[in-house]
Amino acid sequence: MTDRLLARPFPWGQWFLNTLTFGLCLLWAVPMLWAVVVSLRPPNDDLGPGDVWFSDQLSLESYEKATRLAPFFPDLDQEDFPGHSYYANTLEWVLLTLVVQVITVTLAGFAFAHFDFVGKRYLFYFVLMQMMIPTAVLLVPNFITIREFSTKTLLIPEFIYYKEFALYDTPLAIALPYFGSAFGTFLMRQAFLGVPRDLVDAGIVDGCRWWHLLRHVYLPPSWPSLVAFGLVSVSFHWNELLWPLVVTSNSARPLTMGLLRFTQLTDIGAQWSLVMAATLIIVAPLLLAFLFFQRQFIQSFLYSGMK
Amino acid sequence: MLAISDQFQNYWRKRLRPRLKPLPYLLILPTVYFVYLFTILPTFKVLRDSQIYFHPNLPQRVIMTDLKLPGIDPAQRSMRGPHDVGWAYFRAMADPDSLVGNEFWQVMRNTALYVVVTVPTSMLLAFLFATLVNRKLRGIGWARIAFFYPTMLPMVSAATIWNFFFTPDYGLWNSALRLFGYSGAENWIINPDLGLWALVIVAVWKNAGYYMIFYLAGLQTLPEDVYEAAALDGANWFVQLFRITLPLLKRTTLFVSVIAIIGAFQTIDHALVLTYELVTGEADLLLYAIYEQRFMQQNYGLANAMTVVMVTILLGLTLLNFILTERDHD
Amino acid sequence: MRMRLLLVVVLLMAAFGTTLTSAQEPVVVEIYFPIAVDSPITAILDEYSAAYEAENAGVDIVFSFEGGYTDVKNKLLTTMEGGGDLPALAIMLATDIYDLRNAEAIVPLDVYASEEYLADFFPTWLSNSYYDYDLDGTPELYGIPFQRSTVLLYTNLTLLEENGLTMPTNWEELATVAQALTTTDRWGILLPNSWPYWVFQPFAIGAGQNIVTESDTDVFFNTPEVVAGLQYWMDLFQTYQATPAGVQSNWGDAPGLFADGKAAMIIHSTGSLPSILGKAVFEVGVSGIPGKDGGYHTVTGGGNLYMVAGTDEATAEAAWKFVEWLTSPAQAVDWSIRTGYITTRISGLELDTWTAYIAENPQAADAAATIDVAGREFSVQSLAAVRDILHAHVFDVLNGVATPEDAMAAAQTEADEALSMFKTE
Repeated sequence: MTDRLLARPFPWGQWFLNTLTFGLCLLWAVPMLWAVVVSLRPPNDDLGPGDVWFSDQLSLESYEKATRLAPFFPDLDQEDFPGHSYYANTLEWVLLTLVVQVITVTLAGFAFAHFDFVGKRYLFYFVLMQMMIPTAVLLVPNFITIREFSTKTLLIPEFIYYKEFALYDTPLAIALPYFGSAFGTFLMRQAFLGVPRDLVDAGIVDGCRWWHLLRHVYLPPSWPSLVAFGLVSVSFHWNELLWPLVVTSNSARPLTMGLLRFTQLTDIGAQWSLVMAATLIIVAPLLLAFLFFQRQFIQSFLYSGMK
Repeated sequence: MLAISDQFQNYWRKRLRPRLKPLPYLLILPTVYFVYLFTILPTFKVLRDSQIYFHPNLPQRVIMTDLKLPGIDPAQRSMRGPHDVGWAYFRAMADPDSLVGNEFWQVMRNTALYVVVTVPTSMLLAFLFATLVNRKLRGIGWARIAFFYPTMLPMVSAATIWNFFFTPDYGLWNSALRLFGYSGAENWIINPDLGLWALVIVAVWKNAGYYMIFYLAGLQTLPEDVYEAAALDGANWFVQLFRITLPLLKRTTLFVSVIAIIGAFQTIDHALVLTYELVTGEADLLLYAIYEQRFMQQNYGLANAMTVVMVTILLGLTLLNFILTERDHD
Repeated sequence: MRMRLLLVVVLLMAAFGTTLTSAQEPVVVEIYFPIAVDSPITAILDEYSAAYEAENAGVDIVFSFEGGYTDVKNKLLTTMEGGGDLPALAIMLATDIYDLRNAEAIVPLDVYASEEYLADFFPTWLSNSYYDYDLDGTPELYGIPFQRSTVLLYTNLTLLEENGLTMPTNWEELATVAQALTTTDRWGILLPNSWPYWVFQPFAIGAGQNIVTESDTDVFFNTPEVVAGLQYWMDLFQTYQATPAGVQSNWGDAPGLFADGKAAMIIHSTGSLPSILGKAVFEVGVSGIPGKDGGYHTVTGGGNLYMVAGTDEATAEAAWKFVEWLTSPAQAVDWSIRTGYITTRISGLELDTWTAYIAENPQAADAAATIDVAGREFSVQSLAAVRDILHAHVFDVLNGVATPEDAMAAAQTEADEALSMFKTE
């Protein structure tokens, strides 16, 4: 529709739109640009009036100091727990969630799309409840569930109860509530429903078992949906803060909680370059992935809303 | 008698039994189980626990006055609990003059203001962005990136960056405002009057680009010929916008508003960075208040009662959305 | 690790295995530690633990670092509730004593601490260490002073001299000096608003009345003195225009602005002393905050060592030994010199290391001298709630919504109500 505006014979309209677009882009980009510039200042270089961008020297010292102050990366020199770094934890719980989700949503989506069974509609609504009540909202009761998972849910008797069974402060504790995904189930069901019934019937006539059907008939045309779901799942969980904050305290802390720690360093003197270096360490992987695969990401996020 | 049984047997054999095979149930079992364990069950649990006063960071003493909950017997009780108090929390929350109610209504006012400002503002911007980048122009891809990239950042990082922008005196946000002649208070984080607006600004900045992609997708499906016809009729840009574009994007708008509202309720990460220091509660949002009451103040009952309110609001909104969508279909 | 939920049998064996072998392993003393100051604290503490382990075989000291005091407290409480591994010791705010004890997170230390040991601590530091939880008339000891600070007035002496001014000795002089030093790109004085009660207390004390006493259920918000203290804060920007109006100044920014010459005076923690001295290119003066009619006043702050509930006896013994070592005069002085916190031990001030240090850094001696005039930091039952009440009303006054009298009267009423259920009479 704006094309039509441009087609009109007065170029000032186009100029106006271009300037507006450029201005807004700049406005939206400034926070990130500032973060990058300031993270390249030395750690103790205070900002002040008129001195909030480049200083007279560029240095990577802030990054070095940030990684020294907090275990972002696995410390290979340390013998005890080289794996307990923010990156390892985030990767562990995000990938664990992804792998389990891909399996559960594919199976459930397939069941809801392919089979006809008693109570199908109601079970589907039951699953969709998860989209209406986000897990974040139920953090209080879910925290209790995680805390009591081994004794109340797995029913490990008290007399053989051993602390190692406790879920609290493990990547599994963060991941568990996300193992079932209403959004993923819905997305995969939609994708599978789009597969022509003729193809499926042909498969059945050929004597395919259900897993053959899933593997060779349903999945091949549905890959884009599964990839989209995966991208959204990873981005969402990578950025998650509140739930990990509740169920981890030490060894399973993810990246976002690592950053939260830095924000309190301002108690004695705001060290913006240090905090920005920490911020960039955390956002870099996802942001770079987005820059390289922006079309796929935008497509995926588009799916994420199509509830 | 025999006929009915025959009929049923027939129905059983032909219709029901083939639809009761275990396989599909097995396939959906993991999903259903986890949804049950972490969504359905906790919803009922929280309803049950909202009836219990438990305050484990108070001393184990017999209380002399009362529990600060209207309608609770001030007789000899333990200050710490647990006590079954029935619906006392909800009665207290309904009464703005009680301590609990006063705090609760403050939180509800904040949340309402936050949602009412954040959602329309980011949607308006999203629509503006979508129209601006929906043009065939060299470099427009970069504009899309510039608008969308905040979506990829964790809210905690976005808030950390903005934390600097809100610094008084030399923070960039304040410097920019002063260019436009602003001369008011500048400490957006600590000033009780401004804290909530700081949260709004960060949320709008982060979310507008996300909502933009839905409008962009919507714009790209619009039929060209309608515009051509309208242009022939002499309809100008504004007429086209209000007569054609907006009505055709009604479903997109409805849908974006739903995800925006639900998102606004469940994201409070920025409050943990920006306004946690704002100790007076002037910017507490509902979910933040739940977190704070449960994990910092250790006021279990109130946290559970507020969770019940939150779940009710979200279910109500979903229902409203359902009704609106259905009406739209007719 | 994911397998362990399933491999019940294997883990049971492991469980029995650990019980059998644990006798030979060293006692691990874990300590939650807030990194609130930007000094190379992790390095200092690693050095301490190495030195201690070298002297004491069979003990393993492990520091777990956290971002701030709030983090440490939240982490301890959530770990306790979630059923994670708890440390033996934690450094937490001295003022959190009631909350921590009420939540059964910490244990009394009377069985460990001898009278001679305690007698060598400055009594001021111990003012938030005792709590009579069981109401038997004798308070128990919970917190051992470790990283303690006071609120200081930092003054740019060079600037003072250039303008022919002298060090202010009372409110009147403080205000006129601040006014005289205010220019278009410099504030006369900055009073950070992030934790207003801490900055506010010296003014209340300076007018003649602290907002708290030794009692854990009484606050004094509406006495004429306290109201006068708040009025003076108002005057600093309303009458003298020497500080930003309303709620403005950030805790974190103030030291940088002072060191850069953008503020002639600031009120800040002793903990900022090393970073300010490191950056400032002018002569820095430190003192308490001048009182209404003269004298200097301040208030204590900072963190104490607490022993976490549930620590087994062997670990507790080892932990206490380490506490004694860490708070010994020599260590206390070393810690003070390297971090800016004030020495906790009386005999520490006589050590050669200290006298040699203050000969080079007279400001450190001035900062330490404020112990003598420091009042008790604001700490009562339901601290968060009562503090919020005070802050809300102080902010109302600063933002011009209420007069000091009305706001403090309201604050008193609300605080009394919040505290009423703790009253035992």
